[in-house]
Amino acid sequence: MDCYNLPTIPYRKFSYPLHDKAAKENIPIVGELDLTMRCNLECSHCYCPRDNKKKELSRQELCQIIDELTQAGCLWLLITGGEPLTRPDFLDIYTYAKNKGLIITLFTNGTLVTPEIADYLQEWPPFSVEISLYGATKDTYENVTQVNGSYEKCLKGIELLIERNIPLKLKTMVMELNKYELEMMKSFAIERNLEFRFDSLIHPRFDGSKFPCQYRIPIDEAVEIELKDHLRRRRWEKVYQQLSKNQRKNNRLYLCSLNMWSFHINSYGRLQFCIMAQEPSFDLRKESFFNCWKKLINVMPKLKSKQDNKCKDCELFSLCAPCPAWAKLENGDPDTAVEYTCKIAHVLASKLKNNGFISKGGRVDDRDEEKNLQKTRGI
Amino acid sequence: MEIHQKRYRKNPNIVSRKIAGNFILVPIRHNLGDLKSIYTLNEVGTRIWELIDERTNIGKIKEVILTEFETSGEEVEKEIIGFIETLNKIQAIIPT
Repeated sequence: MDCYNLPTIPYRKFSYPLHDKAAKENIPIVGELDLTMRCNLECSHCYCPRDNKKKELSRQELCQIIDELTQAGCLWLLITGGEPLTRPDFLDIYTYAKNKGLIITLFTNGTLVTPEIADYLQEWPPFSVEISLYGATKDTYENVTQVNGSYEKCLKGIELLIERNIPLKLKTMVMELNKYELEMMKSFAIERNLEFRFDSLIHPRFDGSKFPCQYRIPIDEAVEIELKDHLRRRRWEKVYQQLSKNQRKNNRLYLCSLNMWSFHINSYGRLQFCIMAQEPSFDLRKESFFNCWKKLINVMPKLKSKQDNKCKDCELFSLCAPCPAWAKLENGDPDTAVEYTCKIAHVLASKLKNNGFISKGGRVDDRDEEKNLQKTRGI
Repeated sequence: MEIHQKRYRKNPNIVSRKIAGNFILVPIRHNLGDLKSIYTLNEVGTRIWELIDERTNIGKIKEVILTEFETSGEEVEKEIIGFIETLNKIQAIIPT
């Protein structure tokens, strides 16, 4: 008989094997749930279309879906939107999911966090909350969000969560409107001992509108900020070093569907492979999560890329990681290249080639990442 | 009270999940000892967890485990009791 002590193991030693097993057995262990597409902000770059004609999932429908996805083996659930806190029944849905034993991450803009909500999250803690910070100054922030007073509300929300020791991370989308404040935003996070990450890849809105794309930063600048960030540079260097080893070995359209263990549910009850892939999708209002998941894992591997897909044999494939769903949004055809990300990959490759791929400044190890890992106990 | 007579109930603020063959205890509320941990139980730990309820004392749990897992010995008995005490310490179970 095994020993019953409770050794503490790092979070990832708990998490990785579980993900591996889920991938092998197609268990939907990680999920994303859009509670709404509505938002109290009007961010210029936002990918969420506002379609008031479509009926969002009711609380009752959401609870039914949460029951079913839990039963199917979901453990990690991201609650997102739109802005999830715009739903008056947010706390009811959140509590329902907590009581199912789901490990919850919450994405929010932070502006609707009240002392009452912060108290509640302290009492029923999420795994983490991630707040999008759109600028380090009021002018820039509100130039993005287009709502007066939203900057102060966001700062207040951050403060309320910090005061209560709620696990909090900050992030931003770097765009033309706020790129000059990226370093200030990083510093803002560091000063508060918060993790910070950024992304600069703006994609079209999910209704196909390219309006957000006008805020993309120039390709050279996108590469520059990637390489300026120490950890990200190191990650790119690793990918670059292994370019030749990582060529495509099959003709699946969605290479990421090789092992399926995650899903996305939009606010209208459609089960999708991920947030970006609008199709194929299955209606959870008509069929159980279990049936829809079976259909999804059956259909995704059958989607093949066309012969003339020019990304297929590209040597920079793993540096670019072309996304068919993004290509569909951008060009109407999943078998095409997204020019913006394609060019970024080429510039990135040339910079890494010219500069060599050994970082200056000595060894970088995983200790920084380790610091933020939650401990897990196992018997 | 003699250790074998002790009874416990499960803390309603800890939720058990069985996922991909793993039995996991997930704390969900702040009043638990260590909310930053998630607990995974092995086969024996899982069986002990299943057996814990306010009507079943430790002596009975120990008896069932020794029978079902066809094992015996003072060390094993100590481990079973130690495990239940650990569950109590992390507030996964509450004395009744």
